Amino acid sequence: MDRNRLQHQVACMRRSLFDQGYLDEPFIQLEELQDDANPNFVQEIVTLFYSDSARLIQNIEHALNSRPIDFDKLDDYMHQFKGSSSSIGAKKVTNECTVFREYCSAENAEGCIRSFQQVKQEYAILRRKLEVYLQMVRQAAVSRTA
Amino acid sequence: MAPAFPSGDDRADFGTGEHKQFSFHDIVLRNRLTALVVDGVDFCRLVEQGFLRSCGLETQGVNNGDAAVELIASGAKFDLIIIDMFLPVMDGLETTRRIRALGERCKIVGVSAYIGENDREAFLAAGGDVFSEKPVSPEVLIPILRELDGQYSNI
Repeated sequence: MDRNRLQHQVACMRRSLFDQGYLDEPFIQLEELQDDANPNFVQEIVTLFYSDSARLIQNIEHALNSRPIDFDKLDDYMHQFKGSSSSIGAKKVTNECTVFREYCSAENAEGCIRSFQQVKQEYAILRRKLEVYLQMVRQAAVSRTA
Repeated sequence: MAPAFPSGDDRADFGTGEHKQFSFHDIVLRNRLTALVVDGVDFCRLVEQGFLRSCGLETQGVNNGDAAVELIASGAKFDLIIIDMFLPVMDGLETTRRIRALGERCKIVGVSAYIGENDREAFLAAGGDVFSEKPVSPEVLIPILRELDGQYSNI
């Protein structure tokens, strides 16, 4: 694909990730940490986010499946997960975390279960979009050096 | 060659019409500054340390309050400590109190995934200086670093 067209596509996809609310400011800060000394920083940080947060998601699921539900523990796990999500700029994911917390504070088990499905959905959607986006970024980088 | 992310207008206005006021690259330190990051989540700690290093600080990270207190008690000196309020075993508030009880007077920034006015007041009462939602933004951090570095504020 033509280099300029590829770079234009990268820029458009990036803009759409922000315009559609999937990402916000902290992701830009992370992008700025990438340089020639850390050429794959963003890919590495995204990979680390998903591997690190998988553990947190498991903890939340386990806590939701326990009877009785320990809402304090659930809140603690979600606190950690929201911290991670907000640190990478995963805006829709963190918004759903906030909804979850409201149900958790009210000790509403059904609400927690429902809203956690939304959290996981947004988490998975963002993962797919970032995979596509970062692959395009890599292709654009290769085309610049070709 | 590092993949380059769109720059210029695409950065300045990422679709919301908002323009960034600060970037972590907006500061050039004149002095050697050190920071300790206390965060129980590995990913968050790496991100926070990454931002501080991009500003030119030397950083160290620990994943719990006990380790932070031990480090300070052993004589380690830092210009800045960033503490997550949610820590395993000993929370951020207690960690802050114990660090202050050791006589440490450096700048302490508390961060939390959820912030409320009560949380802020509790943190300040524990001896903290600045309380911020996670992740700490350049808008919060840059003025603090300029102050620590003896620069004039440009706000």
